[in-house]
Amino acid sequence: MKINKLYKGVWGVVLVLLSSISVVMPSVAKPVPSSAYMDIELILPNVVTSIYARPYVAVWIADTEGKSVRTIQLWVGKDEWLKDLRSWWRKVGRNDRAVVDAVTSATRPAGKYRFSWDGLDEQGERVEQGQYTFYVEVVREHGGRNYLRQKLQLEEQSFTHRLEPTQETGQITINYNVE
Amino acid sequence: MLNKKINVMVLTCSMLAGLTFASVANAHPRWVLPSHFTISKEGGDWLSFDVTASHGVFVFDKPAGSETAQIIMPDGRKQRPDFVLRGKRRSVFDFHFSEQGTHKVQINNQAGYFTSFKAGHRDTPKRLRANKIDRVALLPKEPRDVVTTETYTRVESYITVGKPSEKAFELEGKYLELLPITHPSDIVADEPVRLQLYFNGEAQAGVKVDITREGTLYRNHQEQIDVVSDEQGFVTFTPNVAGRYLLKAEHSGDLINNPLADRMSASVHFTFEAVLP
Repeated sequence: MKINKLYKGVWGVVLVLLSSISVVMPSVAKPVPSSAYMDIELILPNVVTSIYARPYVAVWIADTEGKSVRTIQLWVGKDEWLKDLRSWWRKVGRNDRAVVDAVTSATRPAGKYRFSWDGLDEQGERVEQGQYTFYVEVVREHGGRNYLRQKLQLEEQSFTHRLEPTQETGQITINYNVE
Repeated sequence: MLNKKINVMVLTCSMLAGLTFASVANAHPRWVLPSHFTISKEGGDWLSFDVTASHGVFVFDKPAGSETAQIIMPDGRKQRPDFVLRGKRRSVFDFHFSEQGTHKVQINNQAGYFTSFKAGHRDTPKRLRANKIDRVALLPKEPRDVVTTETYTRVESYITVGKPSEKAFELEGKYLELLPITHPSDIVADEPVRLQLYFNGEAQAGVKVDITREGTLYRNHQEQIDVVSDEQGFVTFTPNVAGRYLLKAEHSGDLINNPLADRMSASVHFTFEAVLP
C-alpha cells in the first residue's frame, strides 16, 4: 500500500513536469524555414501635381515590440532627408548608421517595383517564427506621406497580403512563400 | 500627543504656504523656436533659432535677446552660437550641429527682481525693477504691501543628431528645472509624455504646467493642456496632434532670510515637437 502511494506520488510529479514541458514547448525559438522568402510588389503611383519630386521610401520588418528586424528597402537621395521618413528614422535609422549605409539607394520614379526578403535579420541570422509587422513609409517633398502597416505570421504556412492603394502608394502585395 | 501636534503644525504651515503660492503670470513669455529638432545629415547641419517673447504660440513680438544662448553638447560641454542677430521683433542665432547625440539649447538670462507695492490715496498697484536693497531709495513714502520677487526663466529646447543621448539633460540644481523622462526626440502625437520638475535640485510637487500647440492665432480657443506635478515632481500629458508645442512651467513661493527678495518665481519655457506617429 505504502509503495503504491509512493508510486502514485512519483507519477504525479512526472505528470506535472510533463504538462509544464508541453506548456513551454510551443514558445521555444524556432527559425523560419530556410526555404522561406518574401516577395514584395510595390507600386508608386503617377501623381500629377505642380511640383513633383520622387518619393522617399522605407520598407522594413519589425517584431511585436516594434524593434526593427531588417530594413528591406530605403530609397532616399541625400541623407539630409532621411529624417523626413519620420517613423523609419525614429524607430530604425537614427539608431544604426551602418544599416542606413548598407541599404540606402536612389529614389525611383512612378512604376511597379519588386523586391524580396530572405528572412534574415540585420545580423544575417534567420528570424524566429512568430508575429511581425511589415511597414512601408512613403514621403514626397511638396507632397504627402503614407505610413502602412501589415501584421505577418511568419511560420511554416505561405500567405499573401494585399494592401489597398493610398495617395502615395499603389497596391502593395506581400507574398510569403515556404517551399 | 506630541506627534499629533506636529502633524497639525505641518498641515497649517503647508496650508499657509499654499495660500502664498500665487501664479505670477508672464505677460510676454519668452521662448525659442528651432528651425528643426532632428538632423539626419552625415557630418551635421546648420539650424536656426528664433528667440522672442509673445502672447501667441509661436508669434514673434518682442526682441528678446539671444546673447546668453548656449548649446549644451552631447558630452555636456557648453558652446556659444555661431551667429547672433537682433531684430525688432525677435533675435536669431544659428549653430552648426555636428556631434552625434542630443543637444540642449538654452537661453537663460540672469535672475531679475521686481518690487510691487501700493501707493497713493487710491492704493494704486505699482511696480519697480528693483531688489530689496535698491528698492529703499526708489519707493515713495508710506508704500503698502511691498513685495520683491526674484524671477528666473529658463528657455530651452532639444536638438538630436542621429542617435539620441541623455547627458545634456543634467540639471544645475538651481531654480526650476525640467528633466525629460520621455526623450524629447520621442514625443509622438497621441502618445503620453512624461517629464519631471525640480526646484533647487529637488523633485517639486505642485508645479503648474501648461502646454499649448502652435498656431493660437488661427483658432478660437487656446486648446491648452493643464497639468500639475505630483508628489515626485512628475507630469504626464498627451499631445493629440503632431506639431510644435510650448510648455510653460511655473513655480513660486516665499523666500526666507533672503537679502534681495521676499518671493521667488521660477519658470521653464520648453519648446518641443510632437512628431507624426
